[in-house]
Amino acid sequence: MEVCRSSAVSLREFGCEQSLLSRPDGSASFVQGDTSVLAGVYGPAEVKVSKEIYDRATVEVLIQPKVGLPSVRERSQEQCVRETCEASLLLSLHPRSSLTLVLQVLHDDGSLLSCSLNSACMALMDAGLPMSCLFCGVTCAIDYDGKIITDPSAAQEKGSRALMTFAIDSTERRVLMSSTKGSFSVHELQQCIAVSQKASEKIFQFYRDSISRRYSKNL
Amino acid sequence: MLSSLKDRVGAVLLPGDGFSLDTDDTISLTEQAKPDKVLCGPGLRRSGARLVACKSGVLRHKLPNVFWVDSQQRRYVPAKGETVIGIVMLKSGDVFKVDFGGSEQASLSYLAFEGSTKRNRPNVQVGDLVFAQFTIANKDMEPELVCIDSSGRANGMGVFGPGGLLFRVSLGLVRRLLAPHSDIRSDLDQLFPCELVVGMNGRVWVKSSSIQQTLILANLLQSCDTMTAPQRQELFKRVKQGAL
Amino acid sequence: MKDTPLSNCERDFLLKAIEEKKRLDGRQTYDYRKIKITFGTDYGCCFVDLGKTRVMAQVSCELVAPKENRPNEGVMFFNIELSPMASPAFEQGRQSELSVKLNRQLERCFRNSKCIDTESLCVVSGEKVWQIRVDVHMLNHDGNLMDAASVAAITALCHFRRPDVGIQGDEVTVYSPEERDPIPLSVYHMPISVSFSFFQQGTYLLVDPCEREERVMDGLLMIAMNKHREICSIQSSGGIMLLKEQVMRCSKIASVKVSEITALISKALENDKKARKEGGKFGFAESMPQERITALKKDETSVEMSDVSEKADEIIQKAEVPHQTVPSPVVPVAGVGQIGEDLQHTWGLDDEDDDEEEEHKEDSDEEQDEKNMDVEHEKEIRGCVVEISDSEEEEVIILQAEKPGKTPIKTGSDSHQKGAAAASRKRPNK
Repeated sequence: MEVCRSSAVSLREFGCEQSLLSRPDGSASFVQGDTSVLAGVYGPAEVKVSKEIYDRATVEVLIQPKVGLPSVRERSQEQCVRETCEASLLLSLHPRSSLTLVLQVLHDDGSLLSCSLNSACMALMDAGLPMSCLFCGVTCAIDYDGKIITDPSAAQEKGSRALMTFAIDSTERRVLMSSTKGSFSVHELQQCIAVSQKASEKIFQFYRDSISRRYSKNL
Repeated sequence: MLSSLKDRVGAVLLPGDGFSLDTDDTISLTEQAKPDKVLCGPGLRRSGARLVACKSGVLRHKLPNVFWVDSQQRRYVPAKGETVIGIVMLKSGDVFKVDFGGSEQASLSYLAFEGSTKRNRPNVQVGDLVFAQFTIANKDMEPELVCIDSSGRANGMGVFGPGGLLFRVSLGLVRRLLAPHSDIRSDLDQLFPCELVVGMNGRVWVKSSSIQQTLILANLLQSCDTMTAPQRQELFKRVKQGAL
Repeated sequence: MKDTPLSNCERDFLLKAIEEKKRLDGRQTYDYRKIKITFGTDYGCCFVDLGKTRVMAQVSCELVAPKENRPNEGVMFFNIELSPMASPAFEQGRQSELSVKLNRQLERCFRNSKCIDTESLCVVSGEKVWQIRVDVHMLNHDGNLMDAASVAAITALCHFRRPDVGIQGDEVTVYSPEERDPIPLSVYHMPISVSFSFFQQGTYLLVDPCEREERVMDGLLMIAMNKHREICSIQSSGGIMLLKEQVMRCSKIASVKVSEITALISKALENDKKARKEGGKFGFAESMPQERITALKKDETSVEMSDVSEKADEIIQKAEVPHQTVPSPVVPVAGVGQIGEDLQHTWGLDDEDDDEEEEHKEDSDEEQDEKNMDVEHEKEIRGCVVEISDSEEEEVIILQAEKPGKTPIKTGSDSHQKGAAAASRKRPNK
């Protein structure tokens, strides 16, 4: 197994704005290159009786595509985001309530799932929901030469053999969720996880910077 | 561990940031070795042998050993003893259902008003505002409000009279308004006379002599949310000088 | 979720304030809130901020068969999404009365006023025409969604470029933007909706109502007009009686507002065109307010991956640590393995057992994460042992020999066999 060290491993420029919407309890938009997702969170709020869970909060994630109605692709991404959120949120603190996370795709230029995860995390933080740790999403693509590309653009995604998205937690850099497409070897998977963990540090540092900036104003 | 906590006071914490609860290895000979007791406020949780932040915000400290995370949040989570402004949503039997902006409606008994008896019911209509205090507020039970204190007196609570304007501000601003010796309040005092009711749930009711003045106050308070003290004083000064 | 209720106090105050010609945000009766138009990276993507109300419109196109009665005309399709993000009262996937009303109004405003030249959208008569689809997403609801939606939709339509097509015989080729420049739609005029809300049976009138004003209003009049002062649609709802003079006055106000907004749209379009021509940065990312403390941006960063390979090995080793503390597997029959007494073990239960062995000091909060993680590793391990035979007994013995907590340095092949041991133990439980 040959390790390819000369990969194009970089994250595109990224940015985030928090509490930009007035109605939701928490909102954030996250931009990675041209990919951008807007997230809004309501909760802990009233829950429908049919969805009530007696010992924890019900998490609902909705992904709105830019064109048309949500399809299977959105549904599967919703599930990925929901499971990641459930793993990091302390849901037992708000039993019999609902947390609704709505993600609106603003532009898709690759790494959409990781951008959705990042915007979700920022919005959850903005809403002040209790979390045991933060999470971030990193997408890795492996192209036909075996090169690993982190945070691929849509064109790079198209020219790749395998595509993986990991959600990584902030405390121990563990993998909370993985979603893969295409074929790859175990070693490549481990490499991608390692790369994602490295990349996640940049994102977590960015989270910290942007929260510090937000609380920098002495009120 | 206290020292590690104290070092971070005023710093920004993110969910997952932890402190170990282990006592120091070195024992001071001069001071008495007393186990430190730390009181954790909102945003801090004990997780095994560690103290972990679960909200993002600034770590605050109060003597002797009280720590909490001050975050900018909008959604209210009820806590026992806090006073809130609620909207009466429904009269059902002998309780009112009150919306206070949380995850479920609170119940308010019609007997929980000053001077009310079974025959002498308080005059409360659906849609009215009440200023009330939580007697039951925990995650597993339906929250319950009362409009009397422990000695049966209204103590400022009860149904609102006519007039005035209700609006929403952030929970952070509410806490700053209610803090003892609040600067915002003293700044407001210098503008024009007004009645101000502040609920911990982020709802503020204000009433002044005219509609215009009430509107100005409401808008000023809403903008205070994101202003530093000098910015606010500058704005207030302009309002005072202006021909409003 | 229910919407936040409106108290009697707010209602009374609003009505009293309106009588005194005062509005909540200090506007005058005929004032619009601040309108901001930004464009996305794509053609045909437009964001409109009207005060705190925020709306996004995206135009897309598709080749479809035309309607039978109109073989030479393209198709216009409008879809308004009341996303739950905009207000807790909106539910996903359910056609509410409001969404039907807004959709209908938008259709009347654009399709029936023939603002787009649909005949130019015909590719092959009776066979293939362009369908222009306009998706309007509500992102934040602070009143007057209709006006914001109409501005967003018409701006997005003006901004949109459809791909060029070539016809050779029966064959229709759609050219990509690199091959041929995409073509803008031909827009005849720009209808813009202006909303008037009426209070006290039409005694008082306000332009551009905010959310709380909308809740206390008696009636609503929406006039869609273009800058040539042609009324494209007019709709009155709420069941109030309006006098002829009132409608005339409203249409006069509307004509002023429409010319203002049209000028703003043209300017925004021009600015965007310039930015695109210069090849500079444009789009949503660039419109992010940099001066706000809630916003932060970071330039492209490279991720160091010099020791990725070592890290990968390390992870493979780490992944196996939990299994070293597992009690010795029972081998009831040759070729199968089992842990614990219960034969009905599932994967999930097994993992929990592992966790308890390993992390019994952990808090319950973290257990879930731990489990998730473990499942991950389990998958990895399962993946890597497909080709290895059943001879796992030796490996099992090695497992026991190792002390928990200490990870001896292993070679790659060793770790594979280890993986085999771990996986085959669990195989019968699947």
